[in-house]
Amino acid sequence: MTLVFDKLRKQYGQVVAIDDVTTSFAPGLIHGLIGPNGAGKSTLINMTAGSYSVSSGSIALDGKRLDTLKKYQIANSRVARTYQNIRLFDQMTVLENLEVCFYPADVGGTWKEVVWPPYASARREKRREKCMDILRFFDLQGYAETDAGSLPYGRQRMLEIARALVCEPRVLLLDEPAAGLNHHETAELTARLAAQRVPDRITIVVEHDMDLVMKLCDNIIVMHHGKLLFQGTPAEVQASPDVQLAYLGTANDIDEIRAAAQDRRAQLGIRARRRS
Amino acid sequence: MSVAETLTAAKPHSGRAISFLVFAIAIALIAASPFLPNYYVRVINSLLIYILLGIGLNIVIGYTGLLDLGFVAFYAVGAYSYALLASPQLDLHWPFLAILPVAACLGAATGILLGIPVLRLRGDYLAIVTLGFGEIIRIIINNLDWLTGGPKGIARLDKASILGIQVARPIDFFWLLLITVLVAGVLVWRLERSILGKAWAAIREDQDAARGIGINTTNAKLAAFATSATIGSIAGAIFAASQRFVSPESFTLQESVLIVLMIVIGGIGNILGIVAGAAILMLLPEVLREFAEWRILFLGLLMIFLIIVRPAGIVPRSFGPDKLIRRLFGK
Amino acid sequence: MLGSLIQQTVNALTIGSIYALIALGYTMVYGVLRMINFAHGEMFMLGAYVAFLVLSMLIGTVGAAGAIALAAAFVIAIFLVGVIGVGIERVAYKPLRNSTRLAPMLSSLGVSLSLVTGIQILAGPQPVAFPSFFPVVRYQVLGGTITSMQIGILIAAFALMFGLQFLVNRSRIGIIVRAVSESRPTAQLLGINVNGAISMVFFVGPLLGAAGGILYASYYGIMTPTMGAVIGLKAFTAAILGGIGSIPGAMLGAFILAFVEVGGTALLPVITHGMLGTEYRDVLSFAILILVLLIRPAGILGEAVSEESIVYKREF
Ligand SMILES: Nc1ncnc2c1ncn2[C@@H]1O[C@H](COP(=O)(O)OP(=O)(O)OP(=O)(O)O)[C@@H](O)[C@H]1O
Ligand SMILES: [Mg+2]
Repeated sequence: MTLVFDKLRKQYGQVVAIDDVTTSFAPGLIHGLIGPNGAGKSTLINMTAGSYSVSSGSIALDGKRLDTLKKYQIANSRVARTYQNIRLFDQMTVLENLEVCFYPADVGGTWKEVVWPPYASARREKRREKCMDILRFFDLQGYAETDAGSLPYGRQRMLEIARALVCEPRVLLLDEPAAGLNHHETAELTARLAAQRVPDRITIVVEHDMDLVMKLCDNIIVMHHGKLLFQGTPAEVQASPDVQLAYLGTANDIDEIRAAAQDRRAQLGIRARRRS
Repeated sequence: MSVAETLTAAKPHSGRAISFLVFAIAIALIAASPFLPNYYVRVINSLLIYILLGIGLNIVIGYTGLLDLGFVAFYAVGAYSYALLASPQLDLHWPFLAILPVAACLGAATGILLGIPVLRLRGDYLAIVTLGFGEIIRIIINNLDWLTGGPKGIARLDKASILGIQVARPIDFFWLLLITVLVAGVLVWRLERSILGKAWAAIREDQDAARGIGINTTNAKLAAFATSATIGSIAGAIFAASQRFVSPESFTLQESVLIVLMIVIGGIGNILGIVAGAAILMLLPEVLREFAEWRILFLGLLMIFLIIVRPAGIVPRSFGPDKLIRRLFGK
Repeated sequence: MLGSLIQQTVNALTIGSIYALIALGYTMVYGVLRMINFAHGEMFMLGAYVAFLVLSMLIGTVGAAGAIALAAAFVIAIFLVGVIGVGIERVAYKPLRNSTRLAPMLSSLGVSLSLVTGIQILAGPQPVAFPSFFPVVRYQVLGGTITSMQIGILIAAFALMFGLQFLVNRSRIGIIVRAVSESRPTAQLLGINVNGAISMVFFVGPLLGAAGGILYASYYGIMTPTMGAVIGLKAFTAAILGGIGSIPGAMLGAFILAFVEVGGTALLPVITHGMLGTEYRDVLSFAILILVLLIRPAGILGEAVSEESIVYKREF
């Protein structure tokens, strides 16, 4: 059970945002997706979730194509996401924001809910129980009846993640979940996400906070200018000169980076040899 | 401080008192209706029709957040269904209870037919397309003389009767309308609280995010459109039966706009608000009888004022039927 | 045959140029505020009424106005309606800039209703004879009849449209308006006077609409308080047809609509063997509107708005 990108491309006019990305994500792990601004991380997330169309190539979950599906169908394949800019249902309560996620499962019983009150309350109870569980997990239970739009920023972030988790997704896509959070909140978030590492879930986290990424992720994918630059464990990524250059260097082209990295390796090698 | 603010802001204790007061007035009004002169019963009847129309249109505007400016077209579909199936026009004389489901289905079908192409569009276009659709229906009715009687309309509609009981006097229609409003109100309120109602709200708040959690927004919007059209159509059939005359004049764009106005003034997305809005709409001409033409000017200005100062309307969404029930019966 | 073709072409151009003047206001407002201004049709109506009022104040009786008085009334009236437009924006739309998308549209519905009833109360609901702003001389061209009025309307309308093109493409204020249309937040960040740009749009739009109203009333010799409703809807159709937000699109759409309408009105009874008469002209325009939206929702010259561009713009 994996999520597979095959020769994935995304182009906006002349801009190539994603350039021939082929990779796969194993279940049970938390994958970090990092790279400088404009690397194409959000574009990948948006394509996987169906918000953006795919220019060419394919996305498949368990061998089933996702890129040919409509956005709501992708969500119904249990792919859940958060947005780089929080998008909650502002004038609905915190509880309702979660409840509405059960729409695909429960909509068939709508008429029964309307005409048969006991059925309606049984359903609602069931939904609420699950919602309250996840709210407690995110320490939001006290806000259940508050409008989502009036929550403090950090809580809104948590609620959006809770909304993505409430239906127990198989693929969880988080676009900069720690953006705008303070140290304390980020630490809490890291702990909570770590606790949600369940065996059959693929979690992909886009994040600029390296501390969080290194602590949380089992596997890290580094992107640069729409291409995969490096993939490996946190330790490997930290040791990789390619990655350091991508973040710090001025080189623009991926080949330039590779070449520069080669040079650097050579230099390092020389130095190392001299030392020994 | 407005009544609603008093209702919501005050402590449960006094809030309950006011809720009881409003409730008592409503009950007293209903109980007194049989004894009022016909003129007032007629006023109350049109109040009830407007409430019914408001309940229908509010599903689309208030719950789902789509601006439908052609609602009156569905009202016309219902009215002309009755007029054609129970009059000398086509020499058909169906019983009222047989026409009602036909009108409801026709209304729903019209709603879906309009909705399928239109609901995929960007939200703002919907207003203009529904407006155009309302005008198309009106122009067609106006010009299809052989069927609809053109601008002269259709007269001498049959007297309605339900299971052998004649429904002809204003007071008969009062009971019919009251029951219809109550049934529609309760069903729609329960619909709003159902999972579909939550999906409507999600679409209203952020359509793309709603799709992102797995809501087939086209279907959910179609359901809203169809339900709303059904209620509008039923209101039309009852209206035609009570007037025993229909003509295109009752189905103008201004009528659509007035229903929107009523919803916005009363409290968008709240059935109790619609009752308040309809009451204002109907009572105003009674108060301003000397200045009939000032009524719409006043309503227009009131709407602008409220949207700016109190966008939730007179009775805000947060004071819905559930809250009223809680206030009235404890818990 | 040729004569009637020429005549119908000029008819369509005349009506099209009036539609275009109104459509421009819709498209510009949509461009900067992403809002449908339901009260814009009323600017068209106000144009006629204000011109009538100005004229009667200038010379006492409206009947025998000279060319100078007419020209003065035209200019004063469109300017006044422009000012009214700015005022309405300040009062009824500006406070709603950060509320829901529905709010300003609903507010404009309220404005529309209030203006129509207001004029009905002040001037009476009945139609009023409107003076001709151009001398009426009939010319025979290859067997078709063209009036000097039509020529006058075409000249006036095109002069205004060229003026607008110049303003938008060449002047500083035009560049500012275009920047705000492109992205209001970015313009704001760059320190552009966004309020000024919006006021400008709410001045120029109603001004052009009012000019359309005066020309229209003068063409048909009549004005009514409700004259803005259907025309407004058609002009909006034209704006969508051409691609809402696009200024050349609005003009193109207006002329296409006018030609379809004039052609359709002439052909409809013939094609359907009298089944559908000329009364169905308006049905035709709305049917076109719905068709265009289905086939090409972005209109002829408009840019498509997809979720991609929405998500992308939100990320900033
Ligand atoms: N809808 C769009 N239209 C045009 N260009 C786009 C669009 N979305 C993204 N891009 C471009 O694609 C590239 C990748 O953008 P993307 O948002 O995926 O970057 P990112 O890695 O998420 O960056 P950040 O860390 O800043 O969020 C950028 O050059 C961006 O300008
Ligand atoms: Mg991003």
